[in-house]
Amino acid sequence: MDRKSNITRRRALLAGGGILAFGGGVAYVASRSESSEQHYVPATSHGSTETTGFGVELAGRPIAGERDAAVDIYYWTDYLCPFCKKFETEALPEIGRNHLDTGDARLVVLSYPNIEQYSMPAAIWGRCVWSQVADSNPDAFWNWHSAVFEEQPDSGTDWADDKTFTRVTERTDSVDVSPVDTCREERGNSIRESMNPNLDVVQEAGIQGTPGFVIYNHESGAAGKLVGAHPYENFADAIGQVMES
Amino acid sequence: MNGNRTGASRGWTRSLRDALVYPLTSDLRLLSTAVGTVVTYVVLVLSSFPQFSIQVLASDPADVVYAVSALTREVYLSTGAFGLALVAGYAVLTGIATTNALALVRRARRRGASTIVGVLPGVIAAGCASCGAGVLGVLGFVGAMATLPYDGNLLRVGGIVLLLYFLGRAGDPRTCSLDGGAWG
Repeated sequence: MDRKSNITRRRALLAGGGILAFGGGVAYVASRSESSEQHYVPATSHGSTETTGFGVELAGRPIAGERDAAVDIYYWTDYLCPFCKKFETEALPEIGRNHLDTGDARLVVLSYPNIEQYSMPAAIWGRCVWSQVADSNPDAFWNWHSAVFEEQPDSGTDWADDKTFTRVTERTDSVDVSPVDTCREERGNSIRESMNPNLDVVQEAGIQGTPGFVIYNHESGAAGKLVGAHPYENFADAIGQVMES
Repeated sequence: MNGNRTGASRGWTRSLRDALVYPLTSDLRLLSTAVGTVVTYVVLVLSSFPQFSIQVLASDPADVVYAVSALTREVYLSTGAFGLALVAGYAVLTGIATTNALALVRRARRRGASTIVGVLPGVIAAGCASCGAGVLGVLGFVGAMATLPYDGNLLRVGGIVLLLYFLGRAGDPRTCSLDGGAWG
């Protein structure tokens, strides 16, 4: 065997260092937690009983932004989805400031329970909290919504249970646990069934995970989709394109 | 019989060690292993949420760093540190397997195709088994991994075991192999 083919100490050290650097880099990126400082409370929120031109039923869903905004952003989410938390803490506050609070677009929160068994009960909690505060104090819903995402731990889905959601609800100003519990017991099944039409829409749109978005222009009928926690710039481009088309 | 089994096991272990250290035998092989490792890791991580990855890359290919770091965290949060370590470990083993496979192809060209025929199907089979996250993502539902035993980690462990088995079976690609043993 020639000299070049020998295992040298230099190459062994290089390989060891490379593996350590690779593993360390992966571990660093994985454990770097998102800034959970930011959370978005829209300047205006509203409810609606309409079904939009895209086929999305709005009844009972929280909507951030002005009623007459030119563009709808349909946001399918799951409270147990870590990628949704990334969207909530990174892109959403900017979308809110630059597109929702300015009246250009409105954002409809839609349930897409797909991560774990508690995804569906979590979605029902959200709908029940919204139904309690939609008319009186819609900001309370957005505070509750952000607080739930902040409960996500660094790993796993074991955190999500009745106890955690009750604690978050008790902690949120202007939301009472008792009516929310009554809503979950009495209306849980009907809320679950009411999710089906919008789940059909998201599946027809070919969105295979959360967070999933359809951006829809009421007037022209133009629509685009985004899947995942994209950087804000991608949302801004997509909203701009749909507005202009 | 037992003696034969122990001998075969020792032969396989020696052969696996030879396969694992083969990339250390030249600078070019080491570089090719590093490139193979990084490329495999990027592909595996991006394929855990293909719709997102394709959209991000189509929008701006320079955002590949954003996509890889976002999905690395997503894999960690969904499958834990063990799941992420398995993906990283598989990437390293694939980097080694790619370098060894290239050497085998070169040798097979010189000496005939008999060796390569026995090894490549194994590398492909091991690859398919361990990239479960990506395959399931491509097939449909991202949440599907969470429904598998241990969040899909069992599938990943299976893939790594298969890859190690086939690496040990091939041994040092510069030597001829016979029934898992290496000589030459």
